Amino acid sequence: MKRNTLVITAVLFILAIFAWAGWANYEYRKQAAERLAASAAQGVLVPDAAGGAPQYISPLKGKPAPAFALEDLSGKKVSLASYKGKAVLINFWATWCAPCKIETPWLIELRNQYAAQGFEILGISADDIDRGDPQKLSDEKKEIARFVEQMHMPYPVLIDGDAVSKPYGGLDELPTSFFVDRKGTVVAAQLGLTSKNDIEANIKKALGN
Amino acid sequence: MFEMKTKIRVAIAVTFGMAFLLAQGQADSAGRSILKGAAVEYLFPEQVTVAAGKPSTVALHFRIAPGLHINSHTPREDYLIPTTFSIPEGAEVRLDGTSYPAGTEITLPIDPSTKLSVYTGEFILQARIVAAPGNHLVEAKLRFQACDKSACMPPKTIPVAIDVIGK
Repeated sequence: MKRNTLVITAVLFILAIFAWAGWANYEYRKQAAERLAASAAQGVLVPDAAGGAPQYISPLKGKPAPAFALEDLSGKKVSLASYKGKAVLINFWATWCAPCKIETPWLIELRNQYAAQGFEILGISADDIDRGDPQKLSDEKKEIARFVEQMHMPYPVLIDGDAVSKPYGGLDELPTSFFVDRKGTVVAAQLGLTSKNDIEANIKKALGN
Repeated sequence: MFEMKTKIRVAIAVTFGMAFLLAQGQADSAGRSILKGAAVEYLFPEQVTVAAGKPSTVALHFRIAPGLHINSHTPREDYLIPTTFSIPEGAEVRLDGTSYPAGTEITLPIDPSTKLSVYTGEFILQARIVAAPGNHLVEAKLRFQACDKSACMPPKTIPVAIDVIGK
């Protein structure tokens, strides 16, 4: 009798421990989800089921792309809204970013290939710009323009990416791309250098192909 | 009876361990944020004693986070940001020059044709300093730009605090 009581007590204790572990895990996940929501569109990398490179999961997926109006290199304001009806790849890059330089020729080829179907790329430079110092600002713009010229980028290049970084997840790493469909909804996002095929597949998603 | 109690104790200990690992492991895998910690950390020395008024070489040790690299002081392309060490002007400790280690040549897996000159792991800079007599807390700086094999983080400047005693 005494032995049975002891065994039952032990089993109940073990079950209680598992229940506690489950509750602790649930609470952690709940808090993590709240932190994620609080940090605007902060994305996460999750392991690829097939064992490939980690996939970038952006909370913006399925949501309207955050609106913006940024200057291009000539000082003209360009807004995302003006591209409604087109599929748009918003590509955040910087002049100091080697992976960005590697993917730029792919972007150019894909832009030229799909432009006739209503596709455009908006390249947004995340290079620091100093609006308080006209001379510095001019030098910084020249540096970006030099890169654009060297790479023969045929699509609009906007500056001051930092100004829109928060709604797009903070842009802690570059390149980062968001694929927006004709209705203005983010259908895919990519963090870092992946492959031309991955980019093309997401462009097709944005075009609704 | 004694054997039964021992078994129960072992079972409880194992259960505690499993439950802890379960909670910890699942918590860790729940959200791998793209935000990373410090890419580069200054290790040592925290304090050096040098001959006052004379150039002295100090070896400064740094560590780069696993999986990341930073451009060397002489990157292969002019658009890349070099690693540079500096001491603010006007301080009682002057930087006379810095010897940087040679970079290691790497290529990115997706584009073997792009070669980069980088530092990884731990690296040492040889800073030649000239200190005035006395104790000086120097707030030196290391500017670098870090990447992993597929993405880059914005350029960053970290403080390098060294207590320099000029004797």
